[in-house]
Amino acid sequence: MTVDLLTLNWGLLAPELTIVILSVIITLADLFMKNGGDRKAFAWLSVLGIALATYFTYQDLGQPVQSLLNDTYRVDSFGTMFKLIMLIGTGLVFMMSIYYVDKKEIKYDGEYYYLLLTALLGSMIMASSGDLITLYIGLELLSISSYILAGIRKTNLKSNEAAFKYVVTGSVSSAILLYGASFLYGVTGTTNIIGIAQAVQGAFNAGFDFYIYLGFFMFVVGLGYKISIVPAYMWAPDVYEGAPTPITAFLSVVSKAAGFAIVMRLLFTIFAAGNIATGEINAETGMPINFFSDEMTFYLAVLAGLTMIIGNTMAARQINVKRMFALSSVAQAGYILVPLAVVKINSPVVMNISFSNMIFYLMAYLMMNLGAFAVISLVTKANDTDELKAFAGLYHRNPWIGVAMTFFLLSLAGLPVTAGFIGKFNIFVNALLFESYYLAAIMVVTSVVSYFYYFNIVRQMYMRTGNTEAKLAVPFGLQLVVLLTFLGTVLFGMFPNVLIDFISTNFSVMDLFTPGM
Amino acid sequence: MVPLGGYLAVGAILFSIGVYGLLTKKNGIIVLLSIELMLNAVNVNLVAFSRFGIAANITGQIFSVFTITVAAAEAAIGLAILVAIFRNKATINASEIDIMKR
Repeated sequence: MTVDLLTLNWGLLAPELTIVILSVIITLADLFMKNGGDRKAFAWLSVLGIALATYFTYQDLGQPVQSLLNDTYRVDSFGTMFKLIMLIGTGLVFMMSIYYVDKKEIKYDGEYYYLLLTALLGSMIMASSGDLITLYIGLELLSISSYILAGIRKTNLKSNEAAFKYVVTGSVSSAILLYGASFLYGVTGTTNIIGIAQAVQGAFNAGFDFYIYLGFFMFVVGLGYKISIVPAYMWAPDVYEGAPTPITAFLSVVSKAAGFAIVMRLLFTIFAAGNIATGEINAETGMPINFFSDEMTFYLAVLAGLTMIIGNTMAARQINVKRMFALSSVAQAGYILVPLAVVKINSPVVMNISFSNMIFYLMAYLMMNLGAFAVISLVTKANDTDELKAFAGLYHRNPWIGVAMTFFLLSLAGLPVTAGFIGKFNIFVNALLFESYYLAAIMVVTSVVSYFYYFNIVRQMYMRTGNTEAKLAVPFGLQLVVLLTFLGTVLFGMFPNVLIDFISTNFSVMDLFTPGM
Repeated sequence: MVPLGGYLAVGAILFSIGVYGLLTKKNGIIVLLSIELMLNAVNVNLVAFSRFGIAANITGQIFSVFTITVAAAEAAIGLAILVAIFRNKATINASEIDIMKR
């Protein structure tokens, strides 16, 4: 089959091409500018470009599944939803960065901006990939950019160490992922994800079950690293502590969203619901034949439970606020995994409920976690310490920031009037509905544990006095981030149906399994 | 002719050597080399499957070309980070890179 590159529908790639062009423009402008010149304009230019890409992505909503280049790249509602999360997240990270990046620590600060853009591009490719090769390239584009970003403060030993640990753990996990992928390719003879999904059940029945198990477990370990769940979460505290704070925010939101996107694309398309694509029905039960899905959701449930327990209990012991939030985001990954672990793969409607809950929580998590990290980057930089006591007396130094941070923490802890509460409540009801009582119980208990460390910060802000009572000035970029995320957290908490309706009209889980046109 | 199992065994051995080196070696460069071994195990697998697999086709070889390219980029980044560490600390010993250990 010949593909004429000129007749391809390049318009489908508009969001990605916008980011590519933007990063090329910034790279070239960086070359031609004087060495000492101020590069803060790059950040605003990037925010504008990302806004344009968000607009293009928004246009893709409601379209049928379309694919490019022999189904290696897909534009479907699932990928588009994740791309919106990533674009908005990265836009906010750029606004945070403007004030954070300075020439003293990051000598060549132009690099910071275009590497962040390539990282975003990688995550978008991951969300839209329809083939293992495309997926791997997107994964590595994201990973390699974020290795450099984690270590971009070249003279800072902590930053160096974070980057080295990130490179080693990241490369190992992608090697494990690839080793698993090689077996799946071997037994199915294709790298196309839907192609594998259609062939894998036959291979399983033909006696290649060992290789499929091997592939599955290697996928779980390799992908688990990206979303930092239990078998592979140990890197998170160190990397989050050593990386520049806006990059930590990027890793905890955008990189994690990209991880969840490929978890769903790979695990759910290949191992659980390939039979939905082929339409085979079990004659006795009238359900689609699931050779692996119950087993898979069982393993995911175990991992989600362990992740919630370990993340929350370890976070309670931390005194460094960035480490605490690293482990808090491990715990949050556990919550986000719950709807995937309880899902019953028997009908599209039921799957839609679970996956919509997960996307809602990811959107709430984007708002609250980015807001919290904006405040953290302000406070830790102003006090020049990452310890919890940096928050001492924050309310008295700047009441608005104090109140906003309180809402972010309430939302992360899952208490009412916030988006986090609605998200967590939906996930909880979801778990009860599908009779996963253990997971629901673990969720409640670990949430109570999490109050302990989230309210520790609140206590510092209101009831402790810091070294100084001086007013804390907030730079414009950070003000904007805190304002937007605060509005998102509170408004989606009060009017969640807006977001829920948006997700239910624009997201259909069947898109995952439909071959593109 | 060597059967498919032979190639898979070579891949598994390479992968295991890589994991062993990763877990036991202290020198940062050896750690990066161990990761390369793991990635090469993947390449052996992919090429073997693409020649002798159940549904043998060229895709596996194309995949391995991508893997090799990206692995080279990854190794370059890893070495660059080691250089940065060496400039600040005058060591590339992985067990001494531990200021954040709690």
